[in-house]
Amino acid sequence: MNEYDAIIIGTGAAGGIVACVLAEAGKHVLLLERGPQLSFAEVGRDHLRNQRLAIYGHNAGPELIGNPRIFVDPQGRSRIVKPHELDYHNNAACVGGGTRVYGAQAWRFHRDDFRMASKYGVPAGSSLADWPISYQTLEPFYERAEWELGAAGDGNSIQHQTPRKRNYPLPPVPPGPQTAALQNAARQLGWVTSPVPLLINTKPYGGRASCIGCKYCVGFACPTDAKSGSQNTVIPRALATGNCELKTSTIVESIDTDARGNVTGVSYLVDSSGATRRETARARIVIVSAGAIESARLLLNSSSSLHPAGLGNKYDQVGRNLQGHLYPRAYGISSARVFNGIGPGVTIATTQFNHDNPGIIGGGMLADDFIKPPIDFWYDSLPPDLPRWGIENKRFMRENYTRVMHVRGPVQDIPNPEGRVTVDNAVRDKWRIPVACLSGTTHTATVEAAEFMRERGEQWLRATGCERIWSTQPGLILSGRQHQAGTCRMGTDPAASVTDEWGRVHGHDNLFVVDGSLHVTNGGFNPVLTIMALAFRSAEYIAQVVL
Amino acid sequence: MNSETLRAVVDCLIPPDDFPGAYDAGVCHYLKRLFRTDLASQSGFFRAGIEGIEAEALARFNTLFADLTPEQKISILAAIESGDVKTSWSISPSRFFEMLVNTTAEGFYSDPQQGGNRHAVSWVMTGFENVSDS
Repeated sequence: MNEYDAIIIGTGAAGGIVACVLAEAGKHVLLLERGPQLSFAEVGRDHLRNQRLAIYGHNAGPELIGNPRIFVDPQGRSRIVKPHELDYHNNAACVGGGTRVYGAQAWRFHRDDFRMASKYGVPAGSSLADWPISYQTLEPFYERAEWELGAAGDGNSIQHQTPRKRNYPLPPVPPGPQTAALQNAARQLGWVTSPVPLLINTKPYGGRASCIGCKYCVGFACPTDAKSGSQNTVIPRALATGNCELKTSTIVESIDTDARGNVTGVSYLVDSSGATRRETARARIVIVSAGAIESARLLLNSSSSLHPAGLGNKYDQVGRNLQGHLYPRAYGISSARVFNGIGPGVTIATTQFNHDNPGIIGGGMLADDFIKPPIDFWYDSLPPDLPRWGIENKRFMRENYTRVMHVRGPVQDIPNPEGRVTVDNAVRDKWRIPVACLSGTTHTATVEAAEFMRERGEQWLRATGCERIWSTQPGLILSGRQHQAGTCRMGTDPAASVTDEWGRVHGHDNLFVVDGSLHVTNGGFNPVLTIMALAFRSAEYIAQVVL
Repeated sequence: MNSETLRAVVDCLIPPDDFPGAYDAGVCHYLKRLFRTDLASQSGFFRAGIEGIEAEALARFNTLFADLTPEQKISILAAIESGDVKTSWSISPSRFFEMLVNTTAEGFYSDPQQGGNRHAVSWVMTGFENVSDS
């Protein structure tokens, strides 16, 4: 049996960083990933089967067959869902996790995102709470993520992050044909804007080439490796030390405990050439970084006589407060072309409305959008009163694909305990492991904020001079998807949280969760840089203090 | 499933103008492959819908769908879209129509490898790819 200092489960935004920090500190690490290592060609450019538009499948996993979940709708009806269905709330299953195919927006949270309950109180039915740490505590680790992975932006222009100690290592992406109009409109409205920070090389950085402006960021892999994810930054660094062993196509079945209830290692299944093999590894500590849904599922599935409800779940907190973001979207037809075929496409944002909106709890960031392939545009972006077929629909696509201006953004989710992950022993995946069951919705306060942000989106486009403006917001649904968070929240009270501020599971010395599951709240921003910053912070603590 | 009917139907949904319509772009090939592969479980549903269109044409105009005038074809499709059918359907006409419209658009607007966007005609049309500049 193998003995490691640490076993890390998951190679996404957090797991890769933890592996890197521990391996570089000389620790012997086993890094486990349920999916395979995928090349650029294997991810491909299928417009109907990708992480952004997954009508018939995914390009970065998991496979459609053998990986079900259960979704319970607001009326209480449950059904089995496959990974390409929206209600599955998928994130990629491959080396790099979601960072293999993400858009790579690199936002720091707002300082008030860490103190939502203090700022707004706790709305009835919600589990709104403060984080156990502040923005100031996390700030050095945000900076570290920006510099070690490679972020591009203009830090001094981002209103809520000033003053910063250090700017981004790379200049922002250049403006697009829509940027000046949005900037001028914002100025008229008295709104501050900035370039959108991205983990994309605008110049060669970290031994990798710069962005060539292709049109395929969100949902696809980068042809020049200019987009920085775990798979091309921290994981290669971890492997280069010789201290990190990476096993792919390996699914962890359970976290193992001894007769006294202490964590000893993991049992996992290796999927190779049609045969499945069960193996066990032992380690001084185990770190779960499988994403908010799968991390909660694994803790819940690791039950024993001493932990009958699963690990860390003495107070029935594991899996609760599942959250992501509602995305209001606004569109308008510009008199000028707003498309030049040069990606990423997202160029300008405002954080004017992340907080301090009258009558609203929280708020969100608004930005223009990544280039949308025409079929995404057809599904997502047509006016609601346009016929869905016939010559009028075709003419609209022809005349307006390059003229529709888009703004959208993530709205801070107001969490509640009923939005949650449980496990269902009656439904198993292809390895016979009980699957995740998702239920609940976001809180009505989130929908109020989304409606407010939808109106701000329309207001912004109207000020650019766009004609024929339309917009949507999703209403009262469960949010999660690629921004999934919150299911093992950090806190000081073991009865109301799952881990301490370092991600150490309450009641355990050597079991950690490090990923979006820790987020007490999920900010009004793309969450990945916060996941990365927390991972650097926890990993340093583990390397310096625990191991 | 009658190929002539399917051809006439997809060309009503995305008609030819100075850019090719759905048929010339290859959407029928795309649909036939799709209902043999990813949507194989729905192929009976889809076939029943196409047969429903044929039955509606005979019931309303006593003519094959493909031989109707453009206005007659559009009137039948609009009726099916709103569920206003004159014959007996074994499936939901409006649900079938939604699937028909979506899958036709998927073929026409997605990547040419799928088979329904031959020579990237829709990408040139929309400006997603400007072939003359590349």
